[in-house]
Amino acid sequence: MNASLLFLIPLLPLACGAANALFGLRLPRAVSVSLAVGGAAGSALLTFVLWPLATGEGTTVTLYTWLESGTLQVPVELLFDRLSAPMALMVSCVSTLIHLYAVGYMKDEADYARFFALLNLFVFAMLTIVLSDNLLLLFLGWEGVGFCSYALIGYWYSETKNANAGRKAFLVTRVGDVFLGVALLWLFSLFGTLSISTVNAQAGVLPAATLTALTLLLLGGACGKSAQLPLMTWLPDAMAGPTPVSALIHAATMVTAGVYLLCRLFPLVSLSETGLAAIAVVGAATALYAATCALAQREIKRVLAYSTMSQVGYMFLAVGAGSVSAAMFHLLTHAFFKALLFMAAGCVIHLAGGENDIHAMGGLKKRSPLLFWLFLAGALCLAGAPLSGGFFSKDGILLAAFAQRTPLYSLLWGIGVFTAFLTALYTFRLLYLVFAGEPRKDLHGHALPKTMIWPLVPLALLGLGGGLLNLPGLLGGSSWLHHFLGPLAGESPEVSHGLEWGLWGLATALFAGGALVARARYRRFKPGREGAVRRFFLGGWQADALVAALILRPFAAVAYFFWKGTDDALINGVLDGLARGFQGAGERLRTLTTGRLSNYLMAMAWGTVIFLGWFLLRTLIP
Amino acid sequence: MIVPMGHILAFSAALFLMGLACVLARRNLIMILIGVEIMLNAVGLTLVGASALWQAIDGQIFVIFLMAMTSAEVAISLAMVVYLSRRRGTITANDFDGMKG
Repeated sequence: MNASLLFLIPLLPLACGAANALFGLRLPRAVSVSLAVGGAAGSALLTFVLWPLATGEGTTVTLYTWLESGTLQVPVELLFDRLSAPMALMVSCVSTLIHLYAVGYMKDEADYARFFALLNLFVFAMLTIVLSDNLLLLFLGWEGVGFCSYALIGYWYSETKNANAGRKAFLVTRVGDVFLGVALLWLFSLFGTLSISTVNAQAGVLPAATLTALTLLLLGGACGKSAQLPLMTWLPDAMAGPTPVSALIHAATMVTAGVYLLCRLFPLVSLSETGLAAIAVVGAATALYAATCALAQREIKRVLAYSTMSQVGYMFLAVGAGSVSAAMFHLLTHAFFKALLFMAAGCVIHLAGGENDIHAMGGLKKRSPLLFWLFLAGALCLAGAPLSGGFFSKDGILLAAFAQRTPLYSLLWGIGVFTAFLTALYTFRLLYLVFAGEPRKDLHGHALPKTMIWPLVPLALLGLGGGLLNLPGLLGGSSWLHHFLGPLAGESPEVSHGLEWGLWGLATALFAGGALVARARYRRFKPGREGAVRRFFLGGWQADALVAALILRPFAAVAYFFWKGTDDALINGVLDGLARGFQGAGERLRTLTTGRLSNYLMAMAWGTVIFLGWFLLRTLIP
Repeated sequence: MIVPMGHILAFSAALFLMGLACVLARRNLIMILIGVEIMLNAVGLTLVGASALWQAIDGQIFVIFLMAMTSAEVAISLAMVVYLSRRRGTITANDFDGMKG
């Protein structure tokens, strides 16, 4: 099998995206749209066909040297191994389905070419992150997904709110990118290369303090892209974009790039105990934070956005607990069910005639039973219903945290368990508010196009059956993903079967408890006044206000000071003063030019006298 | 030499200073020109004296040049004075301050 075919995986979407960007609006709509779907589908197919290359040590192929300057060598090099192959397959498959869905969703948009070009470009950038064997190439993809995310959030840019949301996402993730950039430069100065394989292989020789600092820098970069505390404020606002964008970028793929980065560099990251603990703490804190926020949200997509943040927090917790396989497992199942939930939410909004507020919905089960069942499948996975994909993957993470058996990790495990309860609660709140009972408002929805509903079916099956990917030995499974990842899988938690059953029982009880509480509270829901706590959660713990008070306003004040105080007063003042001084001096000097002959003659005579006097003095006093 | 060189120098210096005083003190253009003439003649006297002192002819030749130049200068200046007096009706130097800054 020709290994250089691997390059087609990212280049196919790039080519289709470029074609759409250049000629999209001149081509017939059907051609343009098929190009977009075909690009993603081609990648998925290729990844599937080339799968055997990933076994063993994986395959590395080099296309050409991108940058060459002194010792800096940046080859365009792909690494198709046991970690990148499943990730690439997930990205390309999910994006194919989302492209299909987008065909129906964007049916009435005039500038669909821009949308599909950016969507394909995003897939290219994401696959570059996943497959790259060079950190600089990875950074290229990293920035590429950031740009596509910015452009797609602001797709309906004629509304200032959307454009601002795009800008916010771009700027906040940029803060994280700075950390990543510093980490890359540091790694280069340490190793003289940016090759991921080399960095991972040689990481052991570094002193502990350097490793910890590097891990924290990488964590900072991952936090920005994955919307973890404290760089999480952009994700809820990112929901201003079209729903396929939310599903693809802000749920299934891009936000997991941070987790993937940490997994990719796990051999380096795992050498630092402190770094791992920091990753786990950030993950658990974000999981809890986002789950509480999701409890109070009123816009359907914002609930899902916060739940994404919370689930990505779980993945961070898994990496922090040293289990890459648990993180990747949850990443994969989460991608399936969260893409499903987002696209189903898009259908819901479509059915509700553009209404976003779940307090105004209700009774949608009667309108589209199929949609209800699909949404239910996603909700069961998210809430962790027993035997669904989300149940196994989330439990794997909690098990990994529990098996660490240190006070810190036990606390984090506790937070994780509590968050699991909150997850079930907000998921079923969403489900009951949207689908149960009678409509609370007269909604004039549109019929759902077929391309919007059918891509959800494979996702629902993948989500529900996702547990089979890594079925624990307890249920007769073989932990396939864990063994497939092999040396890359990280630690495997060693616990007794009894304990494992106990944890499963606890998870099931929490799921049931959350679902029952939600049923009791929200089955016959009447919108009422919202209390202070609810408003606090609704505003995401007022994180935006906090950022504004701590960073934006001081920054604006400093900027104002430098504008008015330094630039206007100091620099302009000095220059204006100099100019005024010279002008005044010139005015005074001007009066010397009287234009009278006698004055000039007198001056000449005095000048002569002075000269002669000078020579006389020189003669008299040698 | 019959007249000592010191006397010649003292006399020509006095003549020069008187010419200069005339140039500086008077406001009438014709009087200023006369002052300039006196100063030039003072210089000419020095040159003749020096020529006699060193028994060299150069000084006297130079005085011939000086006279030619002076006559040319007077011709031009007086023509300009006549022109100015016709055009502006005055020959007082301070009335011509068109170059005032």
